Amino acid sequence: MIIVQFLLIAAFLFLFYVAIRSRTAHSVSASKKLLFFALMAVLVVAVLAPGLVTSVANLVGVGRGTDLVLYLMAVAFGFYVVNDYLRGQDSRNQLHRLARRIAVLEALERYGIDHRDEADPDAVSDDVG
Amino acid sequence: MVPVYNEAEVIGSVIADVLTVCPTIVCVNDGSSDASAAEIVKAGGYLVDHPINMGQGAALQTGIEFARALPHIQRFVTFDADGQHLVADAVRMLELLATEELDIVLGSRFLGDTVGASGAKKLLLKAAVKFSNATSGIRLTDAHNGLRAFNRHVAETMEITASDMTHASEIIELIAANDYRYREVPVTIHYTDYSTSKGQASVNAVNIAVDTLLRRVTRS
Repeated sequence: MIIVQFLLIAAFLFLFYVAIRSRTAHSVSASKKLLFFALMAVLVVAVLAPGLVTSVANLVGVGRGTDLVLYLMAVAFGFYVVNDYLRGQDSRNQLHRLARRIAVLEALERYGIDHRDEADPDAVSDDVG
Repeated sequence: MVPVYNEAEVIGSVIADVLTVCPTIVCVNDGSSDASAAEIVKAGGYLVDHPINMGQGAALQTGIEFARALPHIQRFVTFDADGQHLVADAVRMLELLATEELDIVLGSRFLGDTVGASGAKKLLLKAAVKFSNATSGIRLTDAHNGLRAFNRHVAETMEITASDMTHASEIIELIAANDYRYREVPVTIHYTDYSTSKGQASVNAVNIAVDTLLRRVTRS
């Protein structure tokens, strides 16, 4: 029991360390960092005091602590999947706009079409926003 | 504008066909791995080359953005690369655009003739129309027809973000959102063995439905 507790907590701490040390960490919002920190803290407590999780589970009408953790995990995974999907679409859209810009500029150049006056529609919308 | 992805076999004759009625043709080569790009240049079309494969909707948007940089072009047509459309239909749509107070003219299979489509395909397309009418608020008889004609106003304001086959539904949503004056006209689709083998699988309808609903959720 002690061994598994040690391993789990070591894993959580390592995850936390990697997340904080990550070079892109400064671009993640503070609220997300706090949420992640809270999640890690809850996980450490849950590993150290399984009885506590069971009392919380009983409080909300779930029999066992492990069941409550499972349900919460399912919900968290659902959020993760949707968030990841939307973020993937966002970065795909950015990539497509970049590639489109390259393709159009390259073609205009190749055909010798004057495009200096042509306003970049993306740049314009950025100015407005 | 013709979005092209691995259509080297037929793109040359499609371009030659279109050039008999239109002065300019813009082909967007969507990262084809075959000789499509060379065929486009050989046939005398403007070639815009995607550095990576991005999907038909993305290719259409690229074609629109290149074509609107050509100052002399006032009317635009989207045309499929696989030879399933007739240039005569495109001409009729352009004439309508020139003479009537319209921003965009859409081709419809169900007002016209469909040659060679299976019963199941027809049924699926009809279901897609019902779905589109319910979600977009625009009443059409054909939601996924690649033949469209529109004026410069539409070309300047069109912003397709759906990269894959979902773009057809997105264009209809844009018609509703931007209050384009639209009309549907009957067109003939020629389903050849070639176009059927290249066309989208029917299971794709599920993708289109899900993406359409997701777009509604995330935009509202």
